[in-house]
Amino acid sequence: MPAGDLEHSPFWYVTLPSEETAKSIGQRALLTKMMVEVWGEGSTWEELEAALQAYPAEAMAPWVGPEHTFKVVVDAFGSKLTMDDQLDLIEKLEFLPFKGKVRLRNPELTFVLLVVDCEWNDSLVDVALPRRYYFGRQVAAADRGVLESYSLKRRLYLGPTSMDAEIAFIMCNQAKVKRGQLMLDPYAGTGSILVAAAHYGAKVMGTDIDIKVLREGKPGPGGPGSATERVCIGSNFTQYGLPQPVGLIRLDTHKHPLRPDLQEVLHAVIGDPPYGVRAGGKKSGAKPEIADRRNPITDPSTHIPATQPYTLGECLRDLLDLSARLLVVGGRLVYFLPATPETYCEEEVPGHPALRLVANSEQILTMRYSRRLVTMEKVHPYDAAAAAAYHAARPDPTMAIDRLHDIVYEQLDEAAKKEAAEAAPRRRCRGKQF
Amino acid sequence: MKLLTHNMLSCHIKNVRNGYPFLIEVVKVSEHEADFDPDFLKHIFPRINWPAFLQGAQSLGCREGLPEEAAESMLEDEGFLKRFHHALLEVFLEEGSLVCPETGRKFPVTKGIPNMLLNEDEC
Ligand SMILES: C[S@@+](CC[C@H](N)C(=O)[O-])C[C@H]1O[C@@H](n2cnc3c(N)ncnc32)[C@H](O)[C@@H]1O
Repeated sequence: MPAGDLEHSPFWYVTLPSEETAKSIGQRALLTKMMVEVWGEGSTWEELEAALQAYPAEAMAPWVGPEHTFKVVVDAFGSKLTMDDQLDLIEKLEFLPFKGKVRLRNPELTFVLLVVDCEWNDSLVDVALPRRYYFGRQVAAADRGVLESYSLKRRLYLGPTSMDAEIAFIMCNQAKVKRGQLMLDPYAGTGSILVAAAHYGAKVMGTDIDIKVLREGKPGPGGPGSATERVCIGSNFTQYGLPQPVGLIRLDTHKHPLRPDLQEVLHAVIGDPPYGVRAGGKKSGAKPEIADRRNPITDPSTHIPATQPYTLGECLRDLLDLSARLLVVGGRLVYFLPATPETYCEEEVPGHPALRLVANSEQILTMRYSRRLVTMEKVHPYDAAAAAAYHAARPDPTMAIDRLHDIVYEQLDEAAKKEAAEAAPRRRCRGKQF
Repeated sequence: MKLLTHNMLSCHIKNVRNGYPFLIEVVKVSEHEADFDPDFLKHIFPRINWPAFLQGAQSLGCREGLPEEAAESMLEDEGFLKRFHHALLEVFLEEGSLVCPETGRKFPVTKGIPNMLLNEDEC
């Protein structure tokens, strides 16, 4: 339940079975800044003080004794507080019965005073909230340090579409990746999602149609003869001291070589499907118009196979069907669906009879382009007949976004395009620009 | 390529009926210690095609100590888990080929990565 019943509030009350549960969620979740046991709150300082005075002494007792070191941090939402402002506020809390020693570095307990004040500068936040003070004991805080250590800035092997570390970790959280599991990224590229899943302890497998990205890698920072003379997916695992992927395979997800009776082997399928002019999907087979002009095949094991365009719609149909077959029941598929305001409609989000949609969250990238993180869970065993019937009822998997380039280039000349962009309401960007 | 991957792949050339398991042509095999995870092994064991696994292990030279028949009860035996783990995840085909048992088509394995892309006349 959000505080003050405001859906858009970043502060939510949750009821959890135990403090342990709160801790484990708090440590793993990256988008939850912290979990706080609220001792009091109010719209004015006087209200907060009254609420804290009324908080039962026996509930406070285990945390305020002389045996604990502690600190109080002040967190402001919607405004910036100077160091002096913060110290003033902390001083005003002196009525609280703390007996322990203050320690700023690594105290046993951290208490949080949250000041919500959006009246002065509402441009600091996406949403304005009414003024409010909260005080409580911090139960858990997100381990965002992990993102710093996995930052792409220092990643050895990168490509133009390497997944941002934070997003890759969030994808793994959506898929509930953990030790003991097998995870697949069918569009592995430089392996940035594999790295995140391996960090959480899963065995990871990656496939891609691009042999260069999988096998050859790139020249690395090291000189000739050094360990980083060339870098590839494996280098990224070595860099973080993670176990290497259990398999990397060059394949086409449209015509894949996984044995037909293989089922329920994966706990998670996580990927960023190919899309767009530069990173568009390819599948095996020659385009019909050039099929007869291709070189004859003399040795099938060295011939360079022809490829043809692979629409997003087809690609996602293959992804969902493969996931429906290979996931264990309860296993999850997490992927990015590219979207634009003109083409996105909820009915187009692909479905499958064995999969249930769990979440569909928009990440705004630019004014004209966003992507949606889609999470699905396998809820029924794979039934080939049901899947075939489902697909037969929807003969053309192409999506509106697959026709976007024609739409944009055919109908709008430059001037009209500019006008359209200006007329569109400015969209707030919460995500990073990619 | 580890035997885990070998176990999952079959020849997908159109109209091939008996494309499983691939025969393995070995040029170079290496061994790398892998993270031992009993929960993962227990999960994957019933999903492994055992005859194909033994055949692959024979080709890669790690067949020794693996029983002819697979039974869930073997998972209680730590010694078995270690041998299974070793053959499944620690023995690595660096260079060689996967050969389709029906057509003889070779899919090259280079730097450990099987190249399973079909040519246009095979799709
Ligand atoms: C958006 S990129 C994924 C990048 C990856 N997440 C990374 O961190 O580098 C999409 C990938 O899909 C691959 N791809 C395109 N068509 C494919 C197909 N038919 N089968 C498998 N992979 C394909 C491309 O080669 C590309 O590496």
